[in-house]
Amino acid sequence: MPSITSFNIAHLHLLLNHVPTVGAILALGLLIVAFVRRDEPLKLAGLEVLFAIALLTLPVYMSGVAAHQKLKNQPGISDDAMRVHQDAALDGFAVTEFAGFVAWIALWQSRRRGRATPGLVPAATVLAILALVIMSRAATLGGDIRHPEIRADVSAASEPAGDPERFVASKISVIMVNSPWAWPASETIHFLGLSLSFGVLLAVNLRILGVMKRVPFAEVHRLLPWGLLGFGANLVTGMLFFIGQPNQYIDSPPFYWKMVFLMIAGANFLYLTVFRKAWPPVSNDAWDASVADKAMAVVSLFSWLAVLYGGRMLPFIGHAF
Amino acid sequence: MALLVWLESLPLAIWVHESPSVWAQPTVLTLHTMGMGVLVGASWMLDLRLLGIGRNIPLSSFGWVFRAVMVGLIVNLVTGILLFAGRATLWGTAFPFLVKMLLVVASAATLMPLRSYVLHGDPNQREVSGRARLLAIASIVAWSGAITAGRLLAYLVAG
Repeated sequence: MPSITSFNIAHLHLLLNHVPTVGAILALGLLIVAFVRRDEPLKLAGLEVLFAIALLTLPVYMSGVAAHQKLKNQPGISDDAMRVHQDAALDGFAVTEFAGFVAWIALWQSRRRGRATPGLVPAATVLAILALVIMSRAATLGGDIRHPEIRADVSAASEPAGDPERFVASKISVIMVNSPWAWPASETIHFLGLSLSFGVLLAVNLRILGVMKRVPFAEVHRLLPWGLLGFGANLVTGMLFFIGQPNQYIDSPPFYWKMVFLMIAGANFLYLTVFRKAWPPVSNDAWDASVADKAMAVVSLFSWLAVLYGGRMLPFIGHAF
Repeated sequence: MALLVWLESLPLAIWVHESPSVWAQPTVLTLHTMGMGVLVGASWMLDLRLLGIGRNIPLSSFGWVFRAVMVGLIVNLVTGILLFAGRATLWGTAFPFLVKMLLVVASAATLMPLRSYVLHGDPNQREVSGRARLLAIASIVAWSGAITAGRLLAYLVAG
């Protein structure tokens, strides 16, 4: 049976790597048309795309790091060029995540109050432009790795490699590996964040499954930002682990499954945020979810447990820490 | 000490600790983490409500929290004992482990008065007493401390 890690990771990166730029263009297009037409539903669609892109950028970045680890000793591929690309991609990743975060806040407020705080959607739009610009630079530098013939400054292609320690990713890695407290502290935060996120998703999904039936859905929806807070803490600390010791993760089957289920759980989180069925004017007293929504709640809880399983099993299946 | 040595000699304890099977220590440890997520997560949802997040939810709607906490507590008691038994003489005498146990007991203890406060009051009650708010803060802090202590055990006690 082929394993989840048996495909070529560089190919996966080549497949995924257009998502952040093309996705940002799509989100921007929707937002700009929505502004011009004053079309609220279209604006929400733009914000939803932006959040989805922020989610998908995670595997894009990680597959890039994995491809670098696999290819760095191959002749004809410049390790320096890959590191330059990777640092630019890390900047792009950070801005894209921030854009997705602002887009999520706007979506959450829109669901609750009918509209987001003034200025929030324009802010998300500006961040999407910024993410597109920075990601385009990363994409250009990525293209240079295997296509030196299209480089703007051909002479730079033959420059001697600089000190690899000058890159941000390398600096993060040095701190994570050498500091006696950085890894344990990040792990502690990762576990606290896990409990917070899981608690929120437990409450919201249990409501959909019929627990707390007297409570209007809007009231458990109020908890979602706390779930995102826990998730944000885990995104930051998780990235510190991944950048710190990429080789512990890039060949590890539980890590791939963890990412797959994280994408499912993230998509479900977006669905719960914009979930319309349980809101007024639909009578929200003792509102009962459809069978499909109940099935979705079960999938959501299962996915979070699978994310947790994949993470906790990392030291045992595949790779020893 | 004799008890700790006896615990360590139990076949089940030895199996959990030494078997290369994925069903031994890896699964027990993972279940312990899942139990933590359910236990602490559910407990924190009640704490957030008591501190004013979701003010309109009647307190009596939080009965599910105590059922979830019960499930988490039982899973973690069983898995915790299994993890403890295999290295009973190590954990049983390690100061950081005793600190963790103290924090877990303290956290769970905050839930007892909260349970009667939430479940035996007026079914439509929405106001929260100052004492319940203090208990909620104590619960958040104690669970955070217990998780921190548990996580740091791997670094402070050579196991």
